[in-house]
Amino acid sequence: MPDVPRRVADAPAAAAAAVGAPVVAKGVDRESMAGAEIDRRRGVAEWLWWFARRQPLGLAGAVIVLVLVVTAILAPALAPHGPKDAAFPQYVAPGTEFPMGTDHLGRDILSRIVWGARLSLYVGLASVLFGVTVGALWGVVTAHFGGASDTVSQRVVDSLMALPPIILALALMAALGQSVTNVIIALAILLTPTAARTIRSVALSIKEMPYVEAARAAGATEWRIIFRHVVPNTLATYIVLVTVNIAYAIVVEAGLSFLGLGAPPDEPSWGGMLTAGTQAMETAPWMIFFPGLAISLTVFGLNLLGDSIRDLTDPRLRGGLG
Amino acid sequence: MRSRSILVAIVGALALVLPAVAGAQDKPRSGGMLNWYVYGDPGRLDIHLESPLSVQQSVAGVYSGLLHRDPAEPTKIIGDLAERWAVSPDGKVYTFHLRKGVRWHDGQPFTSADVKATLDRVLNPAAKSPRCGSMLRPIVASVEAVDAHTIQIALKFPAAPFVEYVASAWCVIAAKHVLEKFGDLSKPEAQIGTGPFKFKRYERDSVIEWEKNKDYFIAGLPYLDGVKQFVLKKGELQLAAAKAGRIHLWDTWPPLKKTEADELKRARGNEIDIAQNTINTIFLVYMHVQKPPFNHPDLRRAVHLALDRQELVAKALEGAGVPCVVLDPKLAADFALPLEEVQKTPGCRQPKDQDIAEAKKLVEKHYPSGVDVEAAVRSVGNYVDRAQLVLSQLRKIGIRGTIRTYESAAGFAVFGKGDFVFLPTQDRAMVTVDPGDLFSLIYTTDAGSNWGKWSDPKIDELAERGLKETNRDRRKQIYHEIQRYLLSGAPSALPVAWVEGYHFVDKRVRGYKFAPTVYDNNTMMKVWLAP
Repeated sequence: MPDVPRRVADAPAAAAAAVGAPVVAKGVDRESMAGAEIDRRRGVAEWLWWFARRQPLGLAGAVIVLVLVVTAILAPALAPHGPKDAAFPQYVAPGTEFPMGTDHLGRDILSRIVWGARLSLYVGLASVLFGVTVGALWGVVTAHFGGASDTVSQRVVDSLMALPPIILALALMAALGQSVTNVIIALAILLTPTAARTIRSVALSIKEMPYVEAARAAGATEWRIIFRHVVPNTLATYIVLVTVNIAYAIVVEAGLSFLGLGAPPDEPSWGGMLTAGTQAMETAPWMIFFPGLAISLTVFGLNLLGDSIRDLTDPRLRGGLG
Repeated sequence: MRSRSILVAIVGALALVLPAVAGAQDKPRSGGMLNWYVYGDPGRLDIHLESPLSVQQSVAGVYSGLLHRDPAEPTKIIGDLAERWAVSPDGKVYTFHLRKGVRWHDGQPFTSADVKATLDRVLNPAAKSPRCGSMLRPIVASVEAVDAHTIQIALKFPAAPFVEYVASAWCVIAAKHVLEKFGDLSKPEAQIGTGPFKFKRYERDSVIEWEKNKDYFIAGLPYLDGVKQFVLKKGELQLAAAKAGRIHLWDTWPPLKKTEADELKRARGNEIDIAQNTINTIFLVYMHVQKPPFNHPDLRRAVHLALDRQELVAKALEGAGVPCVVLDPKLAADFALPLEEVQKTPGCRQPKDQDIAEAKKLVEKHYPSGVDVEAAVRSVGNYVDRAQLVLSQLRKIGIRGTIRTYESAAGFAVFGKGDFVFLPTQDRAMVTVDPGDLFSLIYTTDAGSNWGKWSDPKIDELAERGLKETNRDRRKQIYHEIQRYLLSGAPSALPVAWVEGYHFVDKRVRGYKFAPTVYDNNTMMKVWLAP
């Protein structure tokens, strides 16, 4: 079995291969490209096999996440009915016509779960990419320049991190108003300080590296050093932060919707569905069971995948890979 | 033989003692705190200038009116601060003789000057008093304090429902010196009344508490030491509190739904009484007639046609309601159009196919690719659920809505200012049992809840004629005409259904009677708690 990826430097190439990105250089002839394609396919298969053996739970997580992504993308085709169509009898128990039953307004729960996957994934991805990216850039820049600006910015981070996250999210939603976009903004604000603090600690060690010193000696500007040498070397941490925080964002979104401050009430949010279900726990327990299951499975899958990626990128946990 | 004698003696003794025990059980007992709840935070507490039930309920026990509904027999109107009253032969002048020796909660004496100050306040058009003022303004010509304990109210015309209006729970008397000191009654410290309870505290979003007024003008009342109203906004919280026995009764809005009542019955069993009630409340859909897209009557008509009121009653009210009608035959008797007639009208008839096709054409005529509207909803009761149902029905005709929610008091403030396009659901409870109440509350140009800014001279004229008409049959014909006109036209407020539901009372609560409106009998003046 090949030890892939062997070095940290190999990880971007392996990741690129995993998502099917072209890894060949410009000017390579057609024959060698075909050969590279075969190598790439074999590489992906081997990498997957290696990943499955090395991280079986991670693979399970990846499968769950893949199902979530496919469900979200194909929601219009997969959902048997419109998520807002209250055209059916209320409180129909799960059966052949409605596999997950209907809710208190006569809507098909399966259709709402399917559309809810799209909303959860959209909110999770958008807020995390936005929040973690802003936080990462903030952390890198302040770490690199240091001094008073770093001290002040870290006190701002301290202040934001001192607030309980759900309270901060509730306050932000109360101030911004109820909409999906505002949920994304609130979650991004919630995620930014943690990302800034984490990436800053990585950037602090990178800026002391000899290659940074060499770049500076060669006359590179500080901004060039940041974007050409520091930022690329924080990517592994960035990817782990993104993966781990998507699950967190989905849970917080569900929590906000459960408390009536998340997505607008008619949007098929899993958290909102849970709230509706609490009104009829005795009459229609399936109203809370299925959205609860969807949230649990999604978070479980994302956490398994996130943990595996963290394990793969953490040198202390990579064992014989170094 | 001896044992038989002993048995006879025991039975005899029990026969003597048990009625006494039973009598003691029925004899009002002083003390105890009644726990109640209110569906939303009231915000401003000015009972004359606000219209939500949460405001009236929060201060009901603090004030007295000139007249009120008898707590022991709520269908009857009796004197409250007025000992007695008389009407002139032409029916245009009412003279109220006030109780003597009544004091405000701050110790100041109550006089006719207070009554005049109150009535002048609500009758002032600039004050826009949405309940009491809205009812009295079209009728009352002048108010005069004859002496310290006599007040005379002259009417513009003999008006059939005048006594009902004066006895309404919104037309309570405030102190002149308090109005002068605070300017209005919005703040907790301005809650100084002559009622059975003093206003003790108001913690926002948490609790409102009254304490016994030991100097209440009816000796021996109230029985309770106080009343606590917990602010419970969500249906599941209200139900949980009821199931846990933390509240003693629920008698107002929102009523429990059938499934909730069944769940409560299972949890509390014989400890409570549950009853299905009409609550004199209409479920409406509002559209703002000065803002697109509903500035065009075609769009309003389209909404009227597309609403499936039977489905809304079945799903949102779990069947407890009367769909379609403008006036509820159960409450307004023959003043209401016959149900059979209403059920055949476009917008109400079943099946809906023809009406939906017609509604779709009306929307497409102005918006070929459909239209988006923002639906403003107060997040109280099951309004959010109802709004989703209404929007689901309107999507069929190309009206796509997104919901924007408001806290209870904030929503009322927005609606009152007309800062909305579409209200997919809003209940309005009647203040009295008079059939004309609905029109002066919602449909006339100056109506307190005419939030959609609709103005139709024909409705104004008919509503005024209805108030003036003292002959019952002719009055009935006028109200039938208004109802037919509303059902065939495009008003800004569309009637969906008259709301019914379930209420409960803990069996320890005595002396309480359900009243004809959700506002009456909220003073708890004769309520007491059995051990």
